[in-house]
Amino acid sequence: MADIAAARPIEDRTAPVARGAVNLLFIAPAMLLFGGFVLLPVASALYYAFTHWDGFTPPRWAGLANFQRALADSVHLMSYVHVVLYILGTLVFEVAFGLLVAVLLNSDRRGFALLRGLFFSPVVLSMTAAGVLWAFVLDYRSGLLNSVLRALGAGDLAQPWLSQPGTALVAIIIVSGWKYSGFYMVIFFAALRRIPRNIFEAATLDGAGPVRGFFSITLPLLRQNVLVAVLLAITGGFAGFDLFFTMTNGGPFSATEVPATWIMKQAFDQNQLSYGIALTVVLAVVVMLISLIYLRLSERLSVTRY
Amino acid sequence: MSPAIERRRSPAEWAQFGIGALLVAVVSYPAIWMVLSAFKSNREIFRTPFALPAVWRWENFAEAWQVGGLGGLYLNSLFVTTVAVTLCVGCATAAAFAFSRLEFPGRRVAYRVLLLGLLLPPPTVAIPLFTQLRDMGLLNTPWALILPGAAWSLSLTVFLMRAYFNGVRPDMEEAARIDGANTWQIFWRVAVPMVWPAMLTMIILNTINIWNELLFALLFIVDEDKRTLPVGLVRFYGYHSTDYALVFAALTITTVPILLLYFILQRHVIAGLTATAMD
Repeated sequence: MADIAAARPIEDRTAPVARGAVNLLFIAPAMLLFGGFVLLPVASALYYAFTHWDGFTPPRWAGLANFQRALADSVHLMSYVHVVLYILGTLVFEVAFGLLVAVLLNSDRRGFALLRGLFFSPVVLSMTAAGVLWAFVLDYRSGLLNSVLRALGAGDLAQPWLSQPGTALVAIIIVSGWKYSGFYMVIFFAALRRIPRNIFEAATLDGAGPVRGFFSITLPLLRQNVLVAVLLAITGGFAGFDLFFTMTNGGPFSATEVPATWIMKQAFDQNQLSYGIALTVVLAVVVMLISLIYLRLSERLSVTRY
Repeated sequence: MSPAIERRRSPAEWAQFGIGALLVAVVSYPAIWMVLSAFKSNREIFRTPFALPAVWRWENFAEAWQVGGLGGLYLNSLFVTTVAVTLCVGCATAAAFAFSRLEFPGRRVAYRVLLLGLLLPPPTVAIPLFTQLRDMGLLNTPWALILPGAAWSLSLTVFLMRAYFNGVRPDMEEAARIDGANTWQIFWRVAVPMVWPAMLTMIILNTINIWNELLFALLFIVDEDKRTLPVGLVRFYGYHSTDYALVFAALTITTVPILLLYFILQRHVIAGLTATAMD
């Protein structure tokens, strides 16, 4: 247990290397960049959201008009339903699946490192490449999936996966899982490595099988990592754009419209910048609120259990 | 890991390996299918989707490279990514050093503000950023991707670099201080070499993210000859969506180098994600 003491953050027991306002110079470049290209656009979004503005003529004050319109915009409201379904899907196909694979591939035996490396590899591909590739896999006429079904003699199960409302969102969720479950696998694998092996050995000696071991040892010990992974999946899910844009761009019949794709359509295809900006403000508020509530809840969860 | 302790595998371990290998094979198959299809003709892709190509048509790649202008797209992506990643990791390392090792007015507030970026999704500023870049005259230049790309990567990079600094005792810095080094010298000569492994990890992670970035690249670049690879690929797919062989060849050209780079650097990528302590 000596290494636990050594790994403790040093922050609270050492004096700073240097003091004084001159040290602000070290954070100045980062703060300038962050201020200019993150905070400033956020601040101007907060202003323009309350105006009528096409991007060229001077903005006119509009009060809450954009937000009232956002609340009445049924495609906009449905986009939140879709993104919530998508996030729930990613919790299953990315986080939970990644955790299971991490447990499955957690071994020192030869070959497992290669399997982990291969399983992670889709993470480094661009979403665009992944989206285009899967558009071909899911293509009705000559896609890989339907070809497999026809080869197996189940040709009547072949579907136009991406061009019918019932299956398009599910298809995107599965592609997203293919792309990102490797990321969560690595996070969980790293955490699994830190669990001393003798805990599992003791459990096995006491007669616990792999399933029991997973639920009563692995999962409780990984609670903190699961909480972080879920937060990443939530914030990442709301930002989801690339896959939706390349695979369906919101279609068919708005069945896969998510906030990000709808915002871009409003602002650039229909040239009503201020309405699009108001929608981005709604999105930012929703994400921040959910994250803060989630962080508060998860703090409580970790405090009471330990 | 250590082959010395390689005992005989139990049946359960063989089953574990077998299931894992099967799973990985399924996950990898679409990419393998993509590469094989890139060598085929359109008719072959349709008729015999699972077979190896009857003739290996290397000319598909030359055609895709020319038709798609992939050389120019590669150069643009390379320039944007190199500059943005250097800028981001440089600024973030200095800031993380300051937040972890130095005392100055506004330290806590500045750090909290920076962390706000972790909770904001990039689509929330895409439109105001568009008008801002236009007013600054940066729209349709590489800087329209470099500056926002670096800025949006800062929060996570500072957060992880600071965690790394906090895990290392400041003994070396204190020794340098006693020897009379000033703060800049301590940072440049002592701290940077010390946290270099973490910087390398952040370089790799940010390279993956910025290289693949689509939303900003789609909005802020208009001219065809200034586009980056992901946007070029979307457009290419849009124009040639029925020419399967050509699209597969373009996809292969754009993804295989990234995958090779990943397999070369794999150890750093995975070790990095592991060491940056997600908990």
